[in-house]
Amino acid sequence: MSTVITPSAADAELAVQAVQAASRSEGYWAGVWKRLRRDPLTIVCASILLLMLLAMVFAPWIAPHDPYQGSMIRRLKPLQTPGYPLGTDELGRDILTRLLYGGRLSWFMGIMPVAFAFVIGTTLGVTAGFLGGKVNMLIMRTTDVFYAFPSVLLAVAISGALGAGIFNAILALTMVFIPQIIRVAESVTQGVRNLDFVDAARASGASGFTIVRVHVLGNVLGPIFVYSTGLISVCMIIASGLSFLGLGTKPPEPEWGLMLNTLRTAIYVQPWVAVLPGVCIFVTSICFNLLADGLRQAMDVKA
Amino acid sequence: MTLKRLLLAAAFAAPLTLPGVASSQGTLRIGMTAADIPLTHGQPDQGFEGNRFTGFPLFDPLTAWDLSRPDRPTPLVPSLALSWEVDAANKTRWIVKLRPGVKFHDGSDFNADAVVWNVRKVLDRDAPQYDPRQVGLTATRMPALRRAEKVDDLTVALFTAEPDSFLPINLTNLFMVSPTHWQKLRDAAPTAEAAWNAFAANPSGTGPFKMVRFVPRERAEYVKNEAYWGGAPKLDRVILLPIPEANARTAALLSGQVDWIEAPSPDSVPQLKQRGMVITQNVQPHFWPWQPCFVGDSPLKDVRVRRAINLAIDRDGMKQLLGGFMEPATGTVEQGHPWWGNPTFKIRTDKAEARKLLAEAGYGPGKPLKFKVQISASGSGQMQPLQMNEYLQQDLKQVGVEVEFDVVDWNTLFTNWRQGCASPAARGAAATNVSISTMDPFFALVRFYDSKMAAPVSNNWGMFSDPRFDAMIAEARNSFEPAARDAALSKLHAAGVDEALFIWVAHDVSPRAMSAKVKGFVQPQSWFVDLKTVSIQ
Amino acid sequence: MLLYLLRRIVYAIPIAVAVGFVCFMLVQIAPGDPINAIVPPDAPADVVEQVRKDYGLDKPLPIQFGLWLWKVCHGDLGRSLATGRPVWSDLSSAIGNTLTLAVCASLLGFALGCLLGGIAGTFRGSFADRIATTLAVAGVSVPHYWLGMVLVVIFSVQLNWLPAMGAGPGGSADWSWDWEHIRHLILPMVTLSVIPMGIVTRTVRGLVAEIMNQEFITALRAKGLSTWTIFLHVVKNAAPNALAVMGLQLGYLMGGSILVETVFSWPGTGLLLNSAIFQRDLPVLQGTILVLAMFFVTLNLIVDLVQTTLDPRIKRA
Repeated sequence: MSTVITPSAADAELAVQAVQAASRSEGYWAGVWKRLRRDPLTIVCASILLLMLLAMVFAPWIAPHDPYQGSMIRRLKPLQTPGYPLGTDELGRDILTRLLYGGRLSWFMGIMPVAFAFVIGTTLGVTAGFLGGKVNMLIMRTTDVFYAFPSVLLAVAISGALGAGIFNAILALTMVFIPQIIRVAESVTQGVRNLDFVDAARASGASGFTIVRVHVLGNVLGPIFVYSTGLISVCMIIASGLSFLGLGTKPPEPEWGLMLNTLRTAIYVQPWVAVLPGVCIFVTSICFNLLADGLRQAMDVKA
Repeated sequence: MTLKRLLLAAAFAAPLTLPGVASSQGTLRIGMTAADIPLTHGQPDQGFEGNRFTGFPLFDPLTAWDLSRPDRPTPLVPSLALSWEVDAANKTRWIVKLRPGVKFHDGSDFNADAVVWNVRKVLDRDAPQYDPRQVGLTATRMPALRRAEKVDDLTVALFTAEPDSFLPINLTNLFMVSPTHWQKLRDAAPTAEAAWNAFAANPSGTGPFKMVRFVPRERAEYVKNEAYWGGAPKLDRVILLPIPEANARTAALLSGQVDWIEAPSPDSVPQLKQRGMVITQNVQPHFWPWQPCFVGDSPLKDVRVRRAINLAIDRDGMKQLLGGFMEPATGTVEQGHPWWGNPTFKIRTDKAEARKLLAEAGYGPGKPLKFKVQISASGSGQMQPLQMNEYLQQDLKQVGVEVEFDVVDWNTLFTNWRQGCASPAARGAAATNVSISTMDPFFALVRFYDSKMAAPVSNNWGMFSDPRFDAMIAEARNSFEPAARDAALSKLHAAGVDEALFIWVAHDVSPRAMSAKVKGFVQPQSWFVDLKTVSIQ
Repeated sequence: MLLYLLRRIVYAIPIAVAVGFVCFMLVQIAPGDPINAIVPPDAPADVVEQVRKDYGLDKPLPIQFGLWLWKVCHGDLGRSLATGRPVWSDLSSAIGNTLTLAVCASLLGFALGCLLGGIAGTFRGSFADRIATTLAVAGVSVPHYWLGMVLVVIFSVQLNWLPAMGAGPGGSADWSWDWEHIRHLILPMVTLSVIPMGIVTRTVRGLVAEIMNQEFITALRAKGLSTWTIFLHVVKNAAPNALAVMGLQLGYLMGGSILVETVFSWPGTGLLLNSAIFQRDLPVLQGTILVLAMFFVTLNLIVDLVQTTLDPRIKRA
């Protein structure tokens, strides 16, 4: 998992165990769901995230003000100002509105790189794990190279070289997460490849493609998905960090990391207003982390 | 706070704060806005903040500014030159008499040879001490100077490419460094470039302070030059710290790590005052503009568009944003200045007129005007660039103009300024946002309006070219009588405003915050300050 | 075993070269002519052409890479565009500062993590476990640059206990381990330590819980051994893995301290990278990334070797 966590052998092991569980029991997903329902923390986190998502999607209807329209006479108002419940920023724009809109970009930059990396990493990882041999060698050794960079450093290096901008930041973050997902996907696939039912399918004359599509993908996507969920929190922190450094979004776009950056000058005037975007990043990231933990536990037979 | 917590706090605070106080006796610690120590080899980078802190304290130019009074524009005074006059027979030859008995920090003599050597370091490609890196930082500020000749030990002749009445003012930008010291370093270094790097780490000038310590990116330390020709400074030691982030500067001042910070963020001023800090400010010969591009497909080629943007800006609102730390700019200089000249186009806020002009130029709701401005996030004289630019962006949105920013580092913005708007460095920007010094006519007007000053020669970034303006400039340059020169300059300034050759926004008042321990500081109407009079109590 | 160690070391070499290649490519993917990354934009045209030849930028890419690698191996990382100083001169002092910060933060994070993780793992499911687990999740989820800002406001500005920025009264050049310098280190160190704290807590909790569940512990207990002996046993078994996690964290902190160093103006590689990015000083960017990545590769190798030596039970392919 990145600066933060590395996909350890333990993760992959858990994932493989989950797969084995899946292959054995018919009602596996039902069981997962049942376990999830009994896990109040995960449910709470999922609900918070869902609420945030809805608030962001419906921001144009909920937000009390225009996210770009400021006014010099009402800049840096404190919390609980009438009409501006969370105060205003250094240009007099409503903080609540900008947090709602800002979440869109922050989430976008937190989720899209992981999503891209999920698609690319799974493809490459499954290919490597299933085919083995030289293909595995090529893919995995290339992965090792990118793996040799601490993730924040790699993200900063790529987006620093390419220059500021949302697109470059997403590209950089995708590059950071692809190797991590490849590693997990490869190890999970290898675990599945040697299982009995795959051998059986092969013996019955199914083509490689069919085996991958029907037997392997069906069994590896779950664990990789869970692993990727855990990356979202990391990705969001790095992404807002890039914006904080001025490498991500550009003004006047509302984005939590960038808001935190521009509000820094106001930290003496309205400290509570100035730290709000950080609180948003914190809450989102902690919820994604706990959600990923919950999912992992629910999919782990031992739990 | 309960008694217990109070005691606890006192117990912690006492050992934590005491050592800091003891170590700062007679030492002034300054938090600069620059991200790195400006170059110390004699020609500082980082704009005029560089000249302020690693120029004038360490070195002297031939001519300098009288920074002793806050209540008037700073007059030009003799520094290493005692007098100067143009040769009546040849208007491109100036005779400069030098100050006798001046020594560099290394003990070698300042004389005519040193002046010639220093002119050659930036103007003579064949000189062993020629340093291409210093050319960019110097030549643009004195474009007319061509070469120097020794007349006798204390007299030099300076030659200009064309008659130029501005030369004495330009000369404030050429700092004199010790040729003897450089040669000593050159003998030990493989290349001239390496010698200049060694010189930067261990410079020798004639200034009131000597550099004793240099930690790249972290600090420079000066001690007083007891033998300074203008009298030894009061301070024993000056420490310069680069703190580019306004918030970190405020925190450093409040926590007692520095005694003086440049450009505190306006929002922190109430807190600073409350904690007993002194805020100083004074009008500065400066303006903060958007400088338009006049070539390519820049929409700002159209005078109606430039006028409309000038009219769409609410400068008083911006002044409020900056906590009063600016003056609205309605020209490069304001009414009452000898170069003002009463322009016909009155810069004010009139959004209706702005919309009308934009409509005439073919822009409207169906076809909004869009353009990009290259800006920096900080920098010498840039004031509060992000906030001010965002403010302008909002203001212009109200008249249907969509502005996009390309945010680059201050040094990059400054370097790109010399590349011109047609170069790839501009990245398609239709305007740039470098704040401008108006101390001398060349800086204030000529380098932007003269077609010969088009980038990369000088700072005519927008590649503006108009023979009318070239003629007015020639007239000013050939008026060696001050009154006639001012009359010619006011004609030039008025014409520039009428053509809306800039988007004028603000004049800086260069706020500083300092601890009450700092005594004897005078804030002149200048970019520079005199550290000699300052002391620490 | 020895063979494995040797193979592991040999295997690190192609990785290092490939990492070098990625760093080399950073300048190639940057928009614009790579020559602009080497000469200042105001250099005369003939100088530009001369430098292009000197650097071999007129040659095909693989040869350019070879030339670049040759220079790097000889300690030449190029010159900073902004200052003209050799990249290595600024980088060498910055690395020391970052190392100081990262090592201190890792140690603090490790100590706290072991404490919290040990408690949580021993008393699984207890209230203490829940607190420790929550702290661990908070540690890995908090945007640490934001935490740094908050700490500055509280401890520097409001309470005036600790300095807000920098590396001490004399700058990093005369760093010494006295209070006057250490007080500058506290806030950035604490800020940076939350991540390893969280991760080490998680790891140690898992390890301890696993060991405590094993049959031999029950057996030891049954034999009537003291808690202390059991504790020592747990430590002995958990140490190799915990140390490995900790070692890698040091590497991540070295590479990831850019945000914290920016907040505290700590004169390390992160601050250097930050200013390099904004000045588009690509030689500095490239050199810093390269050195940090190489450090990480080496650290990975060392951790691996030490772990294998300490814990021969780990089977290697």
